[in-house]
Amino acid sequence: MKRSILYPILIALLLCAVSKVYSAVKAGEAAPEFAAAASNGKSYRLSDYRGKYVVLEWHNNGCPYVGKHYKSGNMQRLQKEWTGRGVVWFTILSSAPGKQGYLTASEENEYLTKMQAAPTAALLDATGGIGHQYDAKTSPQMIVINPQGVVIYDGAIDNKPTTDLEDVPGATNYVSLALEQAMAGKEVTTTTTRPYGCSVKYADSAH
Amino acid sequence: MLVRRAIFGFSLASALGFVLLTCGTCTPAEGTPIPHGTLELVAENQWIAAGHDFDLGLHFELENGWHIYWINPGDSGEPPRVKWQLPAGLTAGTLQWPAPRRLGTPSIVDFGYQDAVTLIAPMRVDSSFASRQPVSIIAQVKVLVCREMCIPGNAQLSLTLPVKSESPARDTRTRNLFTAARKSLPRPAPANWKLNLDEERHTFVLTANVGHEISQADFFPLAESQISNTASQKLLPVAGGFRLTLQKSDQLLKPIERLKGVLVLSDGRSYLIVVRVSKTGKA
Repeated sequence: MKRSILYPILIALLLCAVSKVYSAVKAGEAAPEFAAAASNGKSYRLSDYRGKYVVLEWHNNGCPYVGKHYKSGNMQRLQKEWTGRGVVWFTILSSAPGKQGYLTASEENEYLTKMQAAPTAALLDATGGIGHQYDAKTSPQMIVINPQGVVIYDGAIDNKPTTDLEDVPGATNYVSLALEQAMAGKEVTTTTTRPYGCSVKYADSAH
Repeated sequence: MLVRRAIFGFSLASALGFVLLTCGTCTPAEGTPIPHGTLELVAENQWIAAGHDFDLGLHFELENGWHIYWINPGDSGEPPRVKWQLPAGLTAGTLQWPAPRRLGTPSIVDFGYQDAVTLIAPMRVDSSFASRQPVSIIAQVKVLVCREMCIPGNAQLSLTLPVKSESPARDTRTRNLFTAARKSLPRPAPANWKLNLDEERHTFVLTANVGHEISQADFFPLAESQISNTASQKLLPVAGGFRLTLQKSDQLLKPIERLKGVLVLSDGRSYLIVVRVSKTGKA
């Protein structure tokens, strides 16, 4: 009986703590640890993927900037290419329940199938915990983590901050650029950009 | 609203159709639907005359709670963009943007406009400009309209203006709109202001001597990724002005030479300022 009262309080306190401590992760810094349930029913922990490159993709299926990359097939192409080259790709849904982009596990699985998306997993982050840890501002914000667990890229998916599908082909993709350079043992030339897109629909978002 | 959106959609063809149907010779054009609002292309003058520059206005009206973005949209979104189709001899200048307001939450801050805003587009008219026929000006506008969610809109607006040799007369129907629009534009910082910007490790400290003590000031950076949009701007009133501490953006990787932006003071007046960065040695 006591437990049932305590748990919600504990969870609320934990959420408060998470929302208070968020400060931006910068390129060059250690990627904060997280664990989350995915739409496929499994759980994933970032530290289990030490030794691999990890891409984080902030997702909101109703956002027109995200729509540009899925309708054009660009995001799926990137997911297939990079997971094919051993990269772990987490699509992250940080929309709060009732907000645009919030999906249940089965809704997200339907979306992944319909869009023929191919991330390693889609992480359900309805509390916004991971989003706030990484100070994710927009969808589709992208983060690349190297095998040592250090953030090597944080920002926009490419250099065309628009919703126009015709802007996809000529764009410089910053995720691919960072992965190509890092895998070739070169210095990543663009480590931080302004992440364009729709604001992440956290519980506190009003716009 | 749903019905209107369903009928007109946001396609160019239908927007154009709407304009043509309702606006054969009329000036100014009727408001064209955009997502959750309307957009109107208006002219300051009744006709065009060679050598007489004039202003056009893009007047947005938005439903309650919806917003569009300033030239620097902040953490998300994008500003409206316009492509002009102009007769030879007419050249469009850069859009003039009224001071924005802060929109958003503690974790994501955007800069933009709610309710209504007019962006002024200055037009240059060649001294040799001539036409027997009225000329038509077309503006193709892309705009992102957001509230909880964002909807991209497209509108093609057109305006037909006669061409005469005598000096153009003001259009009384748009006079108030242009007066209000100009009033909302940031004015140049007065010549007697003394501005200084000290760069420290994580902050820029703006010290302004404006001749009187200031208790409230908001700075809106014109460029993205220079200062943090979410960090609160700490104001310290000092004799003759104020000191404002601006947190650097995490995306600021290279040193900047000057900071450019709009300063909104407690009386609601806004000023365009450009301040050279001086290193304090604490950097």
